[in-house]
Amino acid sequence: MLNEAKEVCPTTTLRMSREGALLVDVRERDEIDSLAFDVPDLLVMPMSEFERRCAELPRDRDLVMVCRVGERSLKATYFLMYQGYTRVANMEGGIAKWARKGFPVKGNASAAIASPATGCCGGAAPAKSTGGESTSVAGENCCAPQPKPASACC
Amino acid sequence: MDIKVLGTGCANCRNTIALIEQVAQAKGVAVNLQKVEELRAIMSYGVMSTPGVVIDGKVVHAGGVPGRDKIEQWLVAKQG
Repeated sequence: MLNEAKEVCPTTTLRMSREGALLVDVRERDEIDSLAFDVPDLLVMPMSEFERRCAELPRDRDLVMVCRVGERSLKATYFLMYQGYTRVANMEGGIAKWARKGFPVKGNASAAIASPATGCCGGAAPAKSTGGESTSVAGENCCAPQPKPASACC
Repeated sequence: MDIKVLGTGCANCRNTIALIEQVAQAKGVAVNLQKVEELRAIMSYGVMSTPGVVIDGKVVHAGGVPGRDKIEQWLVAKQG
């Protein structure tokens, strides 16, 4: 069994980013076009591409996985841990919490905070948010939400 | 035969469990079927796309509901 994933709050993430950590945004590109993290070191690797591309991620640098509310990024964090990455953490709360705290973003912050869940289970998130439950579409807000491990600070 | 279905509880996961139960019953194969719903436990198998199916510790399927033919092959192969 994998260890519990490290989780960090947006405040810690911002600090880590300024200290050289790489933020890895696993949202789909159309989501990022609407609202993006505004930090110097950011890599976009959507969940739909993640399994194929994850080897691009450095193992010798701190990585913070991010998404809309912190669910997809948690899955990506565990996947990297499965692949042997040790310097990886999930940012709890996602860009929704990041934006609520007034941290740097590009785009329409209110859209990310207010938009509905993207669906349920599986790998890639759909290209468009439908807001409704789908029987075979992946996303970050499942029918049976998982309890989150205790997170650090904030 | 130990079969685990990995998934956080959506319709595809429920359908996969139901289908495996149906096929096992039809084929007369005894299976110990378990659901694995906790994310950390699911990811411990390295499965990004759920539902996933693990038979006797080995991942045999990931993503979408497996077809009946595929399930039959698993059960017959293990039984034989």
